[in-house]
Amino acid sequence: MPLFAKVQSFLRNFFSSRHVDIDLDQEVHAHLELLTAENIRAGMPPHEAQRAARIELGGIEQVKEQVREQRLGNWLHSVLSDCRYGLRQLRKNLGATAVMVFTLALGIGATTAIFSVVYGVLLRPLPFTDSSRIMAIFEVNSKGGWSHLADPNFDDFRDQNRSFQTIAKYQNSGDVSVSGASRPTRTTATSVSPDFLKIFGVQPFLGRDFSASDSKKGAALVVLASYGYWRQYLASSPDLSQSHLKIGGAVYSVIGVLPDGFRFPSDVSLWLPADVGGENPSRTAHNYLAVGRLRDGVTFEQANRDISAIARRINDTSSEQGDYLLKDGIVVPLQESITRNARPALLVLLGAVGFLLLVACANVANLLLAQASVRERELAIRSALGAARARLIRQFLTEAFLLSLVGGGLGVMGALGGVTGLIALAPQNLPRLESVSISIPVLMFAFLLSTAVAAGLGAFTAARATSDDPRNSLAEGGRGQAGSQGSQRVGRVIVAAQIAITLVLVIGAGLLGRSLRKVLEVNPGFRVDQVVTMDVSLPDADDPKAKASQAIFFSNLMDRIKQVPGVRKVGATSGLPMDGGLPDGMFLLMSQSEIPKKMDDFGALFQQRERIGNADFCVATDGYFQVLGIPLIRGRIFDERDGPNFPHVAVISESLARDRWPNQDPIGHTIEFGNMDGDLRLLTIVGIVGDTHEYGLDAPPRPTVYVNLFQRPRAAITVTMLSDADTRLVTSAARGILQDLNPEIPARFRTFSQVYSASLGSRRFNVILIGFFGIVALLLATAGVFGVMAYSVSRRTREIGVRVALGAGSGDVLRMVLSQGLRTIFIGVAIGIIGSLALTRTVESLLFGVTPTDPLTFGGVTLLLVAAALLACFIPARRATKVDPMVALRYE
Amino acid sequence: MSAEQTSLLQGTLDLLILKSLIAGEMHGLGVSRRIQQITGGTFVVKPGSLFPALHRMEEEGWISSFWGESENNRRAKYYRLTKPGRKQLEAETKRWGRISWAIAQALEAS
Repeated sequence: MPLFAKVQSFLRNFFSSRHVDIDLDQEVHAHLELLTAENIRAGMPPHEAQRAARIELGGIEQVKEQVREQRLGNWLHSVLSDCRYGLRQLRKNLGATAVMVFTLALGIGATTAIFSVVYGVLLRPLPFTDSSRIMAIFEVNSKGGWSHLADPNFDDFRDQNRSFQTIAKYQNSGDVSVSGASRPTRTTATSVSPDFLKIFGVQPFLGRDFSASDSKKGAALVVLASYGYWRQYLASSPDLSQSHLKIGGAVYSVIGVLPDGFRFPSDVSLWLPADVGGENPSRTAHNYLAVGRLRDGVTFEQANRDISAIARRINDTSSEQGDYLLKDGIVVPLQESITRNARPALLVLLGAVGFLLLVACANVANLLLAQASVRERELAIRSALGAARARLIRQFLTEAFLLSLVGGGLGVMGALGGVTGLIALAPQNLPRLESVSISIPVLMFAFLLSTAVAAGLGAFTAARATSDDPRNSLAEGGRGQAGSQGSQRVGRVIVAAQIAITLVLVIGAGLLGRSLRKVLEVNPGFRVDQVVTMDVSLPDADDPKAKASQAIFFSNLMDRIKQVPGVRKVGATSGLPMDGGLPDGMFLLMSQSEIPKKMDDFGALFQQRERIGNADFCVATDGYFQVLGIPLIRGRIFDERDGPNFPHVAVISESLARDRWPNQDPIGHTIEFGNMDGDLRLLTIVGIVGDTHEYGLDAPPRPTVYVNLFQRPRAAITVTMLSDADTRLVTSAARGILQDLNPEIPARFRTFSQVYSASLGSRRFNVILIGFFGIVALLLATAGVFGVMAYSVSRRTREIGVRVALGAGSGDVLRMVLSQGLRTIFIGVAIGIIGSLALTRTVESLLFGVTPTDPLTFGGVTLLLVAAALLACFIPARRATKVDPMVALRYE
Repeated sequence: MSAEQTSLLQGTLDLLILKSLIAGEMHGLGVSRRIQQITGGTFVVKPGSLFPALHRMEEEGWISSFWGESENNRRAKYYRLTKPGRKQLEAETKRWGRISWAIAQALEAS
């Protein structure tokens, strides 16, 4: 009952407050009348009776206020009235309010959008059960780099570790040709060891998981399909017994379908058991990635020590010493290993947008400050009438909260669109892009950010506006002009800070922009335009006869494509530049007579330093060099002489020739590179071609050995076509020819310029975003300078009028105003340069061809900023020179 | 106002109001005069204390109010004790008994 009564009173106080107030008023008045009547009865004259009654009552309004103050829900009332008052204030200065809300929306929205990317990529837990316990395991090579695992090393890690429940190996997904489903496709597939799914806590929702026997050499071929693949290509059939897929020429039974949402490694559609062809016994063939789930109670540091100890033991005892043998092992959380490369750039972006937010807040703070000084008199009156300072501070906080929450709300709406844009703009190699969205944690972040901004702005303006003695404000306000020296000084400090932050941001953008230009200036070593590429992969084959027929197939394919109108040159390669890189390995310099009889003797040869060399291995045709315009420097490229049964030949890149055969002519030398394709026949070097930047323009060219596709056939190639004709025409013609030759082989078409620009994607992404933030910050800072100067001039109108009346020329006035502005600008620039020198080191890893303290960038950006700021000062300064002393003196 | 008028102890005002209302419903001035009377003029409750207390107690549900006619046919707001109010009075009385006994004990100790 009492609780019910309380709720009732609360609701009544809240919803019919007017009613309650009228009732109270009547009650107090009735009381007064009763008192008066009592006094009259006691014999007082009516006039006296009323006076005595009023004295006893002690002020009608005060009594009412005392009752109101202890009412239930009174705090809510006062908050609401603060809000109402705040809204009225904000509405009164609609222009300024709109500017502030928009500025905050921009800052908060941009920060929220970038945070959603950072959260989705770096922070959001991976979508697996207890995902923080899943670790990635790498070998550490002699240069300290992380590399994939060789089979025997993986086996030792698996069998000897005491830290993991289980570990499994897998390959990065690759394209395979699949037929037997509803239509032939190129699909991404990966090979995994049988425990792979257990690590992720995933079970097929249909069918069964791999068992250990599926991975045995010679086991029946089985495959697991992703949910999406099953839906799209297996007709969602609940009965898998009839589902067979022809992958790379072999027939696999589909044994299970994984639940919707499980895709690891990213975007893979088919999982095949590893090792059905047997393990590779070499400890230097780095073919697999590895993941493991930690045992309960084991930390990842412990696991790291465990794996590291095993790795060093392998290094101590292995017979395969050399640069390719692991030196150590490392364990890192899987999430970290996936996002390792993306992390620095994303954190730089987050920092940059944080700077933008600060610049935006500074503008709002300045506007609020200007408003607060206009309201000084109002504040002084309120505080003279007894409003507590706390109450006034609360008023400011309320207004700041209203601004920030409205701004934040608009910002989040903008961020919804912004995130879509970011995802579209993001480089394709940014991991986990699919998990980027405006999620609940991102919304929480936006809310907390708005709150923090509100608290900061509110506390700042409140502290500034209520620090003075109200008598000063009243007196100063009375005189009207000189006022608010203090708040103008604070305004200039804010503007200086704004300039400093903007300078850091724009210098960062400038450094990244110049890096991009430097990258684009690099000669890639090949032609990019007018090249159409077509990925084709035939069924895998081991026996020489089948391999020879692959070569014939490709030869026919290319011959027929050459007939397509508009196609000028056709070639083929095992891997396009900037498309993931080529395999690399060690080759041996040897002559025909030195070829060992037994495989075991090769190990000893690899110990002889003068015999070994290191290079990327590329299979190509002569046409490939012509299509990509890779220049022949000396010797010759492959031709008709180089048939499959003639001596095998190789062409090497310029840097390999220079580094491996300094002061010698490599042409005529023979090398053995059989560990790349299993063919032990020697290769005679017949030519030297130009270097290409295979791994991106910002990576140095790799030494490369090219072999002839028609001597060393392989199942998967990329056909390259140089053509003047429309890409679509060429594509459909080539597709038709392939269909005609073999309708079961799917192809993927791209233009080489797509591949090329994708390789620049992440650099471009950073430059566009940070450049955008820099430009916005520059505009905001310019507006900030303008605002403060204009305000200062308007406050000093009378002073300037007096100066002019006393004989100051317009040049003097201009100089006076400009010099005041210049001081602020120079302080800001000085701090900004110092800050930049300290901070640009954080982007060093993203730079190319420029140092973090590049003087040209520093100088250029500083000039730009000073020019913009001076322009912003000049307009108010000009206005100051137009002050008419008569008008100014009569002003107010 | 008498010079020896005692300022009200914290918490006693509620008790006094509840106690005075046990005699029947009355308006604010009546409550005030009743307290004056039953405490022998020691306590004079000013409207600035009386009304907030009455409103608070009404929100607590100990008393309820209604508009009525005064003895001289004037409109006035009347208060009456509710059932929870009676309970509260009992509890307050007991508490006050304990306190005054304890204070008396303390003062008698030498």
